[in-house]
Amino acid sequence: MDQERKNKVLPYLMLMPAMAVMMIVVIYPIFSCIVTSFTQEEAGGFGFENYLYFLADPMQLTNIGYTLAIVVITVVLAVGIAYLLSMYLRFSNSRVSRWIGKLYLLPRFIPGLVAVNGMITIISNSGLLNRLSRLFGMDWELGLMYDAKGIILMNLWFNIPFAAMMMGAAMSAINDSEIEAAKDVGAGKLKIFYKIILPLTYRDIFISATFVFMSNISSFTTPYLMGGNYPTMMGVTMYNLYGNQHFGRSAALSVIMFILSALSAVMYIYVNMRKDQWEKN
Amino acid sequence: MKIAGKLMLGMIAGAMAIASLTSCTTASSAADDGKTFTIWASGSDNVKVQFEQQVAKFNEIQDEYEAELQFITSGTGAESLSSRLIAAYQSGQTNTDYDLVEASDSEVINYLNQCGEDFFVEADTASMENYSNLQYQPSVGQEYYIPYRGTTVLLAYNSDTVPNPPTTAEELYQWIQDNPGRFAYNTPGSGGAGSSFVQTSIYNFLPEEALSSPDEVWAEEWDQGFELLESLHPYMYQSAGKVVYPNKNQGTLDLLANFEIDMCPAWADMVISQKMQGTMPESIQLVQIDPAFTGNLCGFIAPSFGTNHEGAQAFMDYMLSPDAQNIALESMAALPVIDFSLLDQELVKNIETLNISEFRSSSIGDLGTQINERWDREIATLG
Repeated sequence: MDQERKNKVLPYLMLMPAMAVMMIVVIYPIFSCIVTSFTQEEAGGFGFENYLYFLADPMQLTNIGYTLAIVVITVVLAVGIAYLLSMYLRFSNSRVSRWIGKLYLLPRFIPGLVAVNGMITIISNSGLLNRLSRLFGMDWELGLMYDAKGIILMNLWFNIPFAAMMMGAAMSAINDSEIEAAKDVGAGKLKIFYKIILPLTYRDIFISATFVFMSNISSFTTPYLMGGNYPTMMGVTMYNLYGNQHFGRSAALSVIMFILSALSAVMYIYVNMRKDQWEKN
Repeated sequence: MKIAGKLMLGMIAGAMAIASLTSCTTASSAADDGKTFTIWASGSDNVKVQFEQQVAKFNEIQDEYEAELQFITSGTGAESLSSRLIAAYQSGQTNTDYDLVEASDSEVINYLNQCGEDFFVEADTASMENYSNLQYQPSVGQEYYIPYRGTTVLLAYNSDTVPNPPTTAEELYQWIQDNPGRFAYNTPGSGGAGSSFVQTSIYNFLPEEALSSPDEVWAEEWDQGFELLESLHPYMYQSAGKVVYPNKNQGTLDLLANFEIDMCPAWADMVISQKMQGTMPESIQLVQIDPAFTGNLCGFIAPSFGTNHEGAQAFMDYMLSPDAQNIALESMAALPVIDFSLLDQELVKNIETLNISEFRSSSIGDLGTQINERWDREIATLG
């Protein structure tokens, strides 16, 4: 075999196993899910019945709205806090910042279910905080369990380290020399932030927002264990529909979820493709 | 050449993985020597632990047969055991390795409705030496269905705060209204305890035979029960000023164990095993009310399309022995179906105050799902 032909074939050969696995475990299920979502339960045959169910039922619309509200709040808070955190870690050289730098990734190594149960034992109405407060003669009932606030708190626990990790990478790409040069010509802290740090990192803000959005819109463990009965987040709704054997409806809901994720992916691609004035040659 | 070598290595590893997978699936159809038979069961991990111990003990005490266990963990998304069995029966398979299957009485009714009596092999109870120990008779199929444990929902309460627990359903409903925020039941779709509370609240208004009928006509008579549930709603456990129904059986038990509530419906075995493990306070007690919450007998059937009927029968017999009943009680707090005096008295201490004269079984088929959906729509949304 001559070298040139080999070089052409080999990459495809190496991609084949990954491609085959993708076809079986990703592409085929997506396809079959879409087919199921158009399979009508009541009228039979194919049609939009399952989708209309979500658009016409006020209960389901509330569920979808509730999910989006929680996810958007989570994205804004997680990315905002993570941005400040990563900036602090990058530009502060104190002992505290070094310790935080070592510790902040720890939550990523704790399995989700363990973390959620840990959080519950602390914040529930009879949890650690309540018991501590009773030592001092008070009886705090935080009311975070079975409530959107609790879900958001848990989401932040999971997502701040993740977002901070992504933005930390962007922050470390900023050269000290650029900051120092700006300082030398008399730029203040705010000016350095607006003129140097933000333009160099805003793209990563959007990228991490996209990832946080996508991983939370489909979340299940946290809302299942910490959420209330109604409204429920889409992951829990889907689980209930599936459990009650409404396969078409739960498939339609996953397609809706998929579309919402795809919209945020569009933003990701747009931000990534966009070239700033100073990047153009 | 280096890359091609790595590729080769990867392929070999992949092929080995596939080979080991296939060897797993063929191992179950072991030697057909008339000695080996397969027991099929499904459920949570505690059921699995119990069966592993039972199979080990059975294989240890006799040489005639060799039992093997096939366990399907519930909620793994695998096709349920009962639908596999029905499919095997309906496609006319014979000589399968479905030698012995664990089934609840509602599952037996389901097999009977869908497949008829030919589905089962009759048990030769006369030749089973431990059969005379059996104290409960199943509501259907005594000829082929041999129960070995009971499981039931009871009222769990904190005896420190509730010295005189309700004894009837009416008293319970009154207690709930007199003690706002101190009672909870889990969402009926997320666990049997809550579902039992909901079903009995509805079916106590209906004739008793309705509870064993999957006939849609009964759905029209649910309104009174749902009105009751709606009237109880404001008195349920609250968090942050909102009524909350926890998810899963364990969700309400956690509230009970932390004294956030005083009472809830709960599976007897869950409360007893958690007391044994020390995660449930000693003050938590169990009581049955009248009319009872629902419960089930669990037992074995030998499908007619299995192979080793003799081995299956020997295991059914073994499960009624005091040894096996002790194992079931110790490993999963299963309620024994033989006289308590035959059992290890140390273990009996945990259950001796329970006086279960019958298991009120519910087999309403798909109607159960419909109740859950109606509950989700009408009760969960009350806010």
